[in-house]
Amino acid sequence: MTPAPPPRRKTLSTRGNASVSPPPNAPRVNVVGIVVALLVIGGLVFIMARAFGTDPHSVPFMLKGKPAPAFTVKRLDQPGEVSLAQFKGRPVVLNFWATWCGPCKYEQPILDLASQTYKDVAFVGIVFEDTEANTRRYLAETGTPYIHLYDPKSTIAVDFGVSGVPETYFINREGIIVKKVIAPFNSPEEFDKEIAEILQ
Amino acid sequence: MIQALLISIVLAQGYAPPRQGQDPLDAEREARVQRIGKLLRCAVCQGVSIADSPASMARAQLDKVRELVVEGKSDDEIFDYFVARYGEWALMEPRKSGVTLGLWVGPLLLLAIGIFLVWMNTSKNAAPAQPAVVASPETEKPAEDEYLAKVRADLEKQ
Repeated sequence: MTPAPPPRRKTLSTRGNASVSPPPNAPRVNVVGIVVALLVIGGLVFIMARAFGTDPHSVPFMLKGKPAPAFTVKRLDQPGEVSLAQFKGRPVVLNFWATWCGPCKYEQPILDLASQTYKDVAFVGIVFEDTEANTRRYLAETGTPYIHLYDPKSTIAVDFGVSGVPETYFINREGIIVKKVIAPFNSPEEFDKEIAEILQ
Repeated sequence: MIQALLISIVLAQGYAPPRQGQDPLDAEREARVQRIGKLLRCAVCQGVSIADSPASMARAQLDKVRELVVEGKSDDEIFDYFVARYGEWALMEPRKSGVTLGLWVGPLLLLAIGIFLVWMNTSKNAAPAQPAVVASPETEKPAEDEYLAKVRADLEKQ
């Protein structure tokens, strides 16, 4: 490289030095860029922190604390119709089930027993996506002691936000849905723990 | 033949299929049911819409859509019904309002910012007043010499 000419002008001296020393704008910090980057990274970390640990397959349950949707449908074990309104003032345990659902059959004895234990509570089974003949045959075989209703188009299930069977809803004396349990009960103790909240 | 028929009837006892789906509505309303069904997520199959899923849950949900269509509900009222029960999760397409509006606008916004940055850089480089300062000395050398020579020549003239 030819030696730098005498610095007659400021601009010339900086240009001449550029090849020897680092460019003059290198140590300048891009504050706006860093702030934007931090905001973007912070936002992503926030979203991930919230999402980690939650089950992406869990279906949101929106009706908690809301009044239970009213229904009136045909009873399976006896002639006649049943509506939710007739249990007003009593806690209600609403169980959605089907004969094609293995876990439903598995928890049936636990619900049968519970319906004998908690006499004040109305136990209601609602058949989900099944034929009347199937359910009648099943009920005749098992002789379950509480009310079972036939919902031909499964409208009640969708009204309650059911995401599969078995699903059990606990409704308090005021007709408010307190909670739902989306797994079968494995033991009477497990059921006792869940029902406690609606007994007061 | 009759024996085979009898055996199949006997074997089918207790294995009767779950109920069949509801009959479709008239062509026009059924098309609407299917269009809405495509936009609602099935509660058990998750990644699939209720119109595409063969699951019993999806069938029940699609039947509910039919019922609401027969009742004369608007599209928004039907979506609201499902959101009230299954949350925004039930919608296959997030809503174009509120927080989820960001999901629709965000990518377009990022694209716009990207185009803007590219434009900013190219227009800066194209400007003759600012030659590449960061260019390596090897490539800069002839340009520098030529430039310096011209500057010196101009200065000599003064």
